[in-house]
Amino acid sequence: MNDVGGMQGFGAVEQEPDEPPFHSDWEAHVFAMNRALIGQGVYNLDEFRDAIERMAPQHYLESSYYEKWLHAVSTLLVEKGVVTAAEVSAGEHSHD
Amino acid sequence: MTERFAAGTRVRTSPTDPTHHTRVPRYTRGATGTIVESQGLHPLPDDRSRGLPCEPLPVYTVRFAARDLFDEGDHAVTVDIWQTHLTPVDDEGATPHER
Repeated sequence: MNDVGGMQGFGAVEQEPDEPPFHSDWEAHVFAMNRALIGQGVYNLDEFRDAIERMAPQHYLESSYYEKWLHAVSTLLVEKGVVTAAEVSAGEHSHD
Repeated sequence: MTERFAAGTRVRTSPTDPTHHTRVPRYTRGATGTIVESQGLHPLPDDRSRGLPCEPLPVYTVRFAARDLFDEGDHAVTVDIWQTHLTPVDDEGATPHER
């Protein structure tokens, strides 16, 4: 999915009067992790954007902004050989 | 690659629809606009996202009439686009080889 500039058909944009930078702590963690990984040269910004656009369309459309970021960080960490898919999966299920 | 376009040059964006990443917004693809200014040289995201060699290439701010993109609106829309995705056009909007 490449929807830079957006598209119609998803209803009105929800406006929050005093919108916080993050709606949960995990969003801030994902933000910080991504900055650190790009800063360390593990992957670059274009690879990060590409990883988001490679999401399956239905998954992409169902995901929030930072859920897309988390998906891209996880995808790239596995593809770059930093962690294994099994380790990512184990981490996800450790909170079940 | 050196800079080819001066401010005021009319250009058309490529009607690209690649399977890989690109920073050409879908709503500008195939549209005609005007070069506003150079933004210097930057690696092409289309290549950099795929781990390909990517020498810095010219990027320009391009101004489009909103009406040309969305069929309505009297404002302008400006987008930064790589030279790779721009072709010069004459005042009628035809590329040189179409004349």
